[in-house]
Amino acid sequence: MNEHIEAGIQKGAQGEDEIQEVFLQGQRNLRVSRGHDFFEGKREGAFLYDENGTRYLDCYSGGGMYNLGRRNTQACEALKAAARETDQGNFVLLSREKADLGERLSDFLPAELPGAFFSVSRGEAVDVACKLARGNTGRKELVTVDGGSYGQTGFALSLSERRDAALFGTLIPEVRKVPFGDMHALEQAVTKKSAALFMEPIQIENHCRTAPAEYFRLARELCNGTGAYLVFDETQTGMGRTGAKFCFEHYGVVPDVLVIGEALGAGYFPITATCFVKKAQKLFNEHPLIHLSTFGGHDVGCRVACAVLDIYEARRPWDNANAMGVYAMDYLDALVKVNTKKILSISGKGLLMSLNMGTEEGALAMCRSLRLNGVFAMPGAVARSTVAFRPPLTITRDEVEMLFKAIILSLKAL
Amino acid sequence: MISSKEKKAVLKKFGRHISQAQVKLMQAAHLDFLETERNGASIRDAGSGRRIFDSFSSAGCFNVGRGNAEVIDAVCRAADEIDMGTPGLASRMKVECARRLAAVSPGNLNHVMFTAAGGDAIDCALKFARGATGRNEIIAMSKAYHGHSGFSLSANGKDYYRNLFEPLMPGFSFIPFGDLDAARRVASEKTAAIILEPIQGEGGIHVGDDFYLRGLRDLCDSLGIMLIFDEIQTGFARTGRMFYSEYSGVVPDMMVVAKSISGGLFPNSAVVYRDMALLRDFVNANPEFHTSWGGSDLGCAAGIAVIDFLEKNRIWENAAEMGKLLMKALRDIMKENPHIVREVRGKGLMIGIEYTHEYMGTLMSDSLSKHGIFAVFSGNQPQVMRFMFPVTITEDEMRRVIVCINRAIKTMKSFFWLTVPLSKIPWIKTLLNDQHLQVASFIWIRYFEDLFGITKRSYGREE
Repeated sequence: MNEHIEAGIQKGAQGEDEIQEVFLQGQRNLRVSRGHDFFEGKREGAFLYDENGTRYLDCYSGGGMYNLGRRNTQACEALKAAARETDQGNFVLLSREKADLGERLSDFLPAELPGAFFSVSRGEAVDVACKLARGNTGRKELVTVDGGSYGQTGFALSLSERRDAALFGTLIPEVRKVPFGDMHALEQAVTKKSAALFMEPIQIENHCRTAPAEYFRLARELCNGTGAYLVFDETQTGMGRTGAKFCFEHYGVVPDVLVIGEALGAGYFPITATCFVKKAQKLFNEHPLIHLSTFGGHDVGCRVACAVLDIYEARRPWDNANAMGVYAMDYLDALVKVNTKKILSISGKGLLMSLNMGTEEGALAMCRSLRLNGVFAMPGAVARSTVAFRPPLTITRDEVEMLFKAIILSLKAL
Repeated sequence: MISSKEKKAVLKKFGRHISQAQVKLMQAAHLDFLETERNGASIRDAGSGRRIFDSFSSAGCFNVGRGNAEVIDAVCRAADEIDMGTPGLASRMKVECARRLAAVSPGNLNHVMFTAAGGDAIDCALKFARGATGRNEIIAMSKAYHGHSGFSLSANGKDYYRNLFEPLMPGFSFIPFGDLDAARRVASEKTAAIILEPIQGEGGIHVGDDFYLRGLRDLCDSLGIMLIFDEIQTGFARTGRMFYSEYSGVVPDMMVVAKSISGGLFPNSAVVYRDMALLRDFVNANPEFHTSWGGSDLGCAAGIAVIDFLEKNRIWENAAEMGKLLMKALRDIMKENPHIVREVRGKGLMIGIEYTHEYMGTLMSDSLSKHGIFAVFSGNQPQVMRFMFPVTITEDEMRRVIVCINRAIKTMKSFFWLTVPLSKIPWIKTLLNDQHLQVASFIWIRYFEDLFGITKRSYGREE
């Protein structure tokens, strides 16, 4: 173990006492169980630091915010300029910033998706998708696949697979779940009563579970045939993460509603988007202000997001995600073959990867061990025996190799 | 300033990608401003070049004033060092902001859950209440407004916002605001929470009095129900105190804050909850029950600056004083125009003026806009207009605002020779109150005004 890190853990633990006044022991225990009991200090590129200056390769990326790396200079400058020139604006009013981002985003996406509604968090953006589907189709049923993780708000929670779901009482009715990847079940489930079919193309929280391209094509056909909306939540897979701008490009399927997440603000502004096809614009075109968000489509946020989209277009981080993803998956595949006792399996696409450690405790132990070897990673929220890796897409080959070394050392220490 | 050609292009873009109906609605009510030079209590409309007082404040976001230099500096300084940070990790910014928030919160509201935005915070609070009590039922108020996400929409007391999206969360029931007996009838040991805005904002500025709020507190205590105050609009100095609950001394079990904690600059929201075993035990056992984006380091930097600014300048005192000034002026208008104004109510700088007819809300919005004030009627009660100026508004500005309101009332009256007699006929009254029809006819009126240059003449009295 690195001595600096050991000293840091001691010091970090002292700092934790101050937290107890406002946050709780249980929240701290959670951080400790993952080896994350330190104060986040500096951040730069692919790394975050604790307050002692020890650096960690950021393989969580704030849950998908930092596709462009930590502290992207252009995004930072865009925030500062926007903060000095504008503010959030009145959310009921028209806004040049909102119109600009609407146009900019529609240029970034396939021509089929001209409409947009902006929110703050992923869950809210998924809730908008549910409301678009119900509000436009006049149907109630929301079909989704099992094992999903869509966010924390009411609709998103109702669609998600959560072991603590029972705590929250009776959730949104008329949600129907089918086994992900089962084509027959999908054919049965999607009918003329369905408002929408929801899925994440790859479930990062569930060991990167996915389905073959035919499955997504079938989903598209079924939705075409029944009039149900096909909704892809690409908060985790989108914005270059899987080696393409969006994961749906791999299957040649364009959804009716696309949820874009955290990555849109590059870690300098919380902004997400629900983008949709022309026919889905009916709801907002006929019912003004029926769905509102005070902070969604914030003028500062829209300016930041426009700048961020420029960076994406210029850097094309999906190319690097593809190259580094292939490199990493090849290496990790080989690693699994010689570590069959410690790693059950590896799964992923592009820079979205997951290791199955067999048990929940095994995954937590791996996270702790990785931290001691200079890597910051989180366990999967649905498949609790897994550790998810989603580093910034700007990661270099040297940094990827650093990750390999850390994984090998961490496995040895287990 | 932008040219009218440029403005047209912006509106077209907005219509094409965001909402055509919103463009029409705003044009109809003379509210098609494009905000620029956002400063203090007013903004400049990029289209007309006019300065316009902001009496909506994005429903209570700009308590520190628009373009507050201290908040801007705090966010920019922070952005030079850090970014939003990592959800799930501790940071100095998050801890400091949470401590400051707990310190200004009433009673033993000592613990903080950061969330992403208002709706998200309400969803968090309702999940929290259901989880901690193990009960399912939620009591909310008619005309309540809590947001548009799954749980918050389920607690929304207006059909327009809900109908197209049903079925929503089961177990929610609605009672009239202010009716303690109704609360007593509906509440039981199956009730997880009673949620309310202590002053209803969207619902038309209905002020919860001490007797009512204390009665709810007692009721909740006796049945083990979580009392949730949504102080998203009333919080942070808006009503003449830091939080509205301070007037009654009632400490809710959870207090939800959003909007103004952002300083109108960087989103943040939170559920502040009481230091009691039931709630602590639940969070300790379920620390991941609502993990979200909130409490970003930059949002917390803004939050700290907002609390600093409010405390240092004792902004709630300004809310109380300016509120009194405005309230008196509006009551004078009511006395002179009992056929137009039915009631004026509110607290601090959260004031509502209720007209005798629904259609007057739209008309008055339009008239005020002509005279340099951006005001909107309450979404859940259209005959009530809300005045929620930035709390930093100066006395000089408030006096100018009052002059504008008086002028606007005169302009509005000029329509009455037609509408008042007509509105006595029931079916015409229904037509007048129909929002779709109003939008259509206002668009026509605007067309003719623009054609004959009428609008330009009625402006021009700026400053």
